[in-house]
Amino acid sequence: MTAPTKGALAPPPGTGPDAERAPGRLAELLASPGVRLVGKRVLLAVPILLGVSVLTFWVLNLIPGNAAQQLLGPEATPEQVRALEQQLGLDQPGYARYLGWLGAAVTGDLGTSLVSGQPVTGQISERLAVSGELVGLAFLVSLGLAVPVALLAAYRPGRMFDRVSMLVSITGLSVANYVLALLLVLLFAVELALFPAIGFVPVAEGLGANLHSMALPVAAIAFPLFCFYTRFLRGDLVDQLHGEDYITTARAKGIGPWQVLLRHAFRNSSFGLITVVGLNLGTLIGGTVIVEQIFALPGIGQLMLQAVNTRDFVVVQACVLVFAIVAVLANLLADLLYAVLDPRIRYGGR
Amino acid sequence: MVIDSAVAVETRPVGGRAGAWWLRNLEVAVPAGVVALVVLACFVGPLVLPIPPPVGGSVLESYLEAGSPGHLLGTDPNGNDILSRVLHGGRASLTVAVAVNLLGLVVGGTLGALSGHLGGITDTVIMRLLDVLIAFPSLVLTLAVAQSLGASQTNTVLALAFFSIPAFARISRAATLRLRELPFMAAAQLCGTPGWRVLTRHVAPNIAPQLITFGMLGMGITIVIEGALSFLGLGIPLPAPSWGNMISQGQQSLSATPMLVVWPCLALFVTVLAFNLLGETLRARWSGR
Repeated sequence: MTAPTKGALAPPPGTGPDAERAPGRLAELLASPGVRLVGKRVLLAVPILLGVSVLTFWVLNLIPGNAAQQLLGPEATPEQVRALEQQLGLDQPGYARYLGWLGAAVTGDLGTSLVSGQPVTGQISERLAVSGELVGLAFLVSLGLAVPVALLAAYRPGRMFDRVSMLVSITGLSVANYVLALLLVLLFAVELALFPAIGFVPVAEGLGANLHSMALPVAAIAFPLFCFYTRFLRGDLVDQLHGEDYITTARAKGIGPWQVLLRHAFRNSSFGLITVVGLNLGTLIGGTVIVEQIFALPGIGQLMLQAVNTRDFVVVQACVLVFAIVAVLANLLADLLYAVLDPRIRYGGR
Repeated sequence: MVIDSAVAVETRPVGGRAGAWWLRNLEVAVPAGVVALVVLACFVGPLVLPIPPPVGGSVLESYLEAGSPGHLLGTDPNGNDILSRVLHGGRASLTVAVAVNLLGLVVGGTLGALSGHLGGITDTVIMRLLDVLIAFPSLVLTLAVAQSLGASQTNTVLALAFFSIPAFARISRAATLRLRELPFMAAAQLCGTPGWRVLTRHVAPNIAPQLITFGMLGMGITIVIEGALSFLGLGIPLPAPSWGNMISQGQQSLSATPMLVVWPCLALFVTVLAFNLLGETLRARWSGR
């Protein structure tokens, strides 16, 4: 790739989005530092995903008592076990199985489940929809609440609202999500009987019923996230407001305190928030395992847990790969958003 | 102790003899006191308090109410004393958490310091390998590791320590890079101090406080994850008590006997909160806010 010679001609920040949409600039955009940054990140993601798949394969090979034995039960004769092993390809050496799996996985075929005999790809996409809804709603709720609360808290640091919100958030951060989930069940399902304790209603049976069945699991995941984001964003906003020259300039220009907070400080603080959200999304999809288990939601976490218990390593491998892809994509998305928000990245002037 | 005295010097008010150290540093003293109390209760409590052992209760004594003679918090479905199980469970949780964070701190800290100090190809290789671990949903692979090695306390420690390494390594690397700019590091190098000696005598003591501070937050995280593993039946196996498996056991009769879940939840919450507050306060002081 050539050096960004167009960098010097970069339009002033603010005209950026319009310039991007002009069709004549498409070629320029493709060569722009922002796009190259993303391209670099995509290339970097490949070895990470390979590493993850190798590591999983290796760990799963450590599992004592293989799937054939598990499937046939303890009374199976060694001959039967061997026959099934041969049928499933378990008798081949690890690297051969890995390479075969990798070849198929690249084309989107993640194999067939050792236990149910169904293609894993279909199974996973079904489950992913449920987990996706769970995580998506949790993010919407937590960010939707955290941003206004953090802004209000940072508006007057040290005042009552700030102190209460910080106390609530450190407390919330110390509640494990399974503890919170059980307490929610105890309060809202057992005592008040407002929400179902377990079970999942698909969207096909009505959005209202679907959301009703998702309310408690979403709350159990969203609350710790809300606390984390509130704390993080409030801290960053206060740092910006107290230490940065551009805030002083903005104030000196006579801009009102809310405008300074929203248009200047928040815009800069949103970078840190985006990074954290991106990183969170990766770990969160794994964290849904336990909440899905408690609320009996047919998500990917539950599938993975079942597969771990039945030694269905084809399914486990596929689940871990999906989790890793989601994590890498989330980080990629965060990088993309930087480029959208920060003209310096978009036009390469560092 | 190093941390405490440093903090005390830094925050001493002008002319300051007013009040004891802990009165002027309540935000450190209170959580530290709670942690000390929990440790004392879990490790010394069962030895000195007149409570029955955590296992081997009689079914004839199951589901006793709180306040029953000899069972302050009542008994569980197997007739075991709940207070005794909460304290012994805390012992297990704390032991696992300390072991995990010590392992993570030593291994991750060393890798990060090496990476930051040597730079170049070593840095690239170590950090890219750790990127793979970070891209991993750690709970997911911990499940697989716990399942593959079998549920036991040692395996729980190994599985969790494995995934605590990258975080410690990143912090250690960042701290080492900051040190590299300082005059005393240049002086050490000009004196011809061998690399390992620079690392052990100059780098290690200077990055230790930050690593220990993160370890406090790590304690909270580890206790929660160990609880999750035990809750799923892949951590500390029954009948031995742990907060996670007590919560899981109590969940089965949640509506009838909610207190079976509430006590271990409460113990978990208070302990994690204390570690989080301690870690946050120390971190705020180190970063100079």
